[in-house]
Amino acid sequence: MADFSIRSDSVNVEEIMGQIRARIREKRGVDYTEQEIRELAAVKLEKFLDPTKVRSDLLEQFRQLQRQQLSPNIELDEETLFGSPRSWVRRARRWLRPILKLFLNPVPLMRASRVNETMVRHAELFYELVHNLVVETTRLGIEVKTLKMRVESLSSRLDFDERRARALEGVVQYRPATPAQEAAPGAARKDEDEAEAESGASRGRRRRRRRGRRGGGQRGGAEESAATGDTAQAAREDRPRAEAPPAGEGEPGDRSVGHAPPPETTRDVTATPASTRSEPPPREAGHAPEQDPGDREPGS
Amino acid sequence: MKLAVVVQRYGADISGGAELHARYVAEHLARHVDLDVLTTCARDYVTWRDEIPSGVERVNGISVFRFPVDHTRRPRAFARHSERVFEHRHSLADELAWLDSEGPTSPALVRHVKAVQAEYDYFIFFSYRYYHAYYGIRAVPSKALLVPTAERDPAIGISLFQPIFRSARAIMYNSHEERAMIRAVSGNADVPGVVVGVGSEVPDRVQPERFRRKLNVRTRFAIYVGRIDENKGCKELFDFFLRYLTRMPSDLTLALIGSSVLPIPPHPRIRYLGSLSDEDKFDAIAAADVLIMPSYYESLSMVALEAWALGRPVLANGRCDVLRGQCLRSNAGLYYDNYDEFAEALYRVQTDRALAEALGQNGRRFYCQHYAWPIIERKYLDVLDQLQAEDRRARRAAPLEPLPGWFARRQKTLAPARGVMNQLPAGPAMDGRTGKDRDHG
Repeated sequence: MADFSIRSDSVNVEEIMGQIRARIREKRGVDYTEQEIRELAAVKLEKFLDPTKVRSDLLEQFRQLQRQQLSPNIELDEETLFGSPRSWVRRARRWLRPILKLFLNPVPLMRASRVNETMVRHAELFYELVHNLVVETTRLGIEVKTLKMRVESLSSRLDFDERRARALEGVVQYRPATPAQEAAPGAARKDEDEAEAESGASRGRRRRRRRGRRGGGQRGGAEESAATGDTAQAAREDRPRAEAPPAGEGEPGDRSVGHAPPPETTRDVTATPASTRSEPPPREAGHAPEQDPGDREPGS
Repeated sequence: MKLAVVVQRYGADISGGAELHARYVAEHLARHVDLDVLTTCARDYVTWRDEIPSGVERVNGISVFRFPVDHTRRPRAFARHSERVFEHRHSLADELAWLDSEGPTSPALVRHVKAVQAEYDYFIFFSYRYYHAYYGIRAVPSKALLVPTAERDPAIGISLFQPIFRSARAIMYNSHEERAMIRAVSGNADVPGVVVGVGSEVPDRVQPERFRRKLNVRTRFAIYVGRIDENKGCKELFDFFLRYLTRMPSDLTLALIGSSVLPIPPHPRIRYLGSLSDEDKFDAIAAADVLIMPSYYESLSMVALEAWALGRPVLANGRCDVLRGQCLRSNAGLYYDNYDEFAEALYRVQTDRALAEALGQNGRRFYCQHYAWPIIERKYLDVLDQLQAEDRRARRAAPLEPLPGWFARRQKTLAPARGVMNQLPAGPAMDGRTGKDRDHG
């Protein structure tokens, strides 16, 4: 996030507001004004969020209308033209109809009425189609804007976290070596060797512990496979990745591990029924950590 | 010299903007001249019900004469009249009915003004839009000074008030924007007008830490002081602030002080502190990072001036011309027109301490130069001296235009007040002119 540099003795609010607006334009990246965005948001709320008003068969109706173009839907004939709900008016018009026809020709009027009706229906459908397109486009536009704002927000948060992390790193102090270590380099070297050996041992322990944990973590998958009877699958999942031999070295007929032979523990699993594996084999002090309990006891 | 301040409500416990303004001015001018206050018995600005006994009483050493109100406000009738006058073509009779329904309708007060006009040299009327100001100025135009406290709301477009603006002897404006608006609507450029405003009783020493201890406020916070009301822009403020919290990395809290007529969102970062004493209020403002002023309509924001007096920056609603103009003239506050600007400006003030300090310093300087009480008093006294000199030279203001006849009053020839208001020049007044275009440039 770019920061502005302002001298405290020469503050100009107009300039600062200009900077702020420029930054907003930069972030927003589009030419919508706030008013336009509000109008778009209002369209979304008023029109689109009412699903009962969205006609799902609009296209079908449009096609039907195209097929029955210019079909009359209002019978505008002489009866309707010269008719009336009042009987005496109707009667008078019927008597005077020949005279009335001398003054006007109702036929084109009837045709025009039909054409007009069809056009009105067309216009309504077009309007609805265009309206829905506009609304959908608006909705998408707003969603895009929302997503952009969210990305911007995440970006600013990331910036903030990075700055915070840098600040925290700056706070951490470097601790120099003690004077005793500087005075006796031989002793220090020895100490380092011992520490290295110790750390090597602890690394080994850590590795073993981690391996054991990983095996334990996969136990669930093995259990599931064993429960469904797919022992091969169980063996596949139980085999630790680090101990897997290279591809192509396995027996050709062994489908449980593909081309690689399963490790010994896996073979135990496939060979031994679950009921006979309730008792774990005795462990030796040195080797016990090497064997993953998950490998040995998939059913427990 | 003897003056009378005429105002719709008056009291030590009445804290409405114009009423407080009137009390401050009265109490400070009373140190220089003989001064009385003429007002109504109402305490509530919605009903205008008589709650204080009529007669004379002393408030902070000033004699206050109270007169009863004829009838309380009937909200439905007032809404109907407002709709007719603001939104539709209407007649002068409609406007008079609107004024009567708005209240506080106190003919007794107006009669008293007319009866005692010989006793006073000048009458200072507060708030142009009320009954007492309209009929009071019509009663004593040659002695009337007006403090309009006009906001950019549709009432300014009511034609009834235009002769009043043209007939007063002098007008004491609160801001340059108010002056530009009234001059545009009434064409009263030849009426003496001074932009005065009002000072505040800001204590010399404030203790922000005392406020933090007392109300257990430990985080950094922005503050809003005033009535928590939708009309004051608080709903928008809540919306903007909650969005700000979710979208910007901020540890800011919003503290609210004042009576609430709007539900406050339940959020741990929005703290409602209720109504506080003046001492606590000033301590709180001094402890805040920034004062937010979200109001759309202000003739003069006293709270913003108080924040500046205490050296705190202000973030104001830029859609209010007066606040925007004050921010620009003082170089002591930022403003916003929408959420994006709100968020960016608030983040700037929150994170850039140097900027916040500089804005606060500018605010303090602005307050001392324009709104310190000695300056306000001097401006009033200068205008009064000028009027007295004119009176000695027998130069009086133009006579008040008479009301049209019975039939003319009922002709629906007047444009909707809102339309009139919309045609008025908008934007902050810089160097005596409005400048919305240059502001958006």
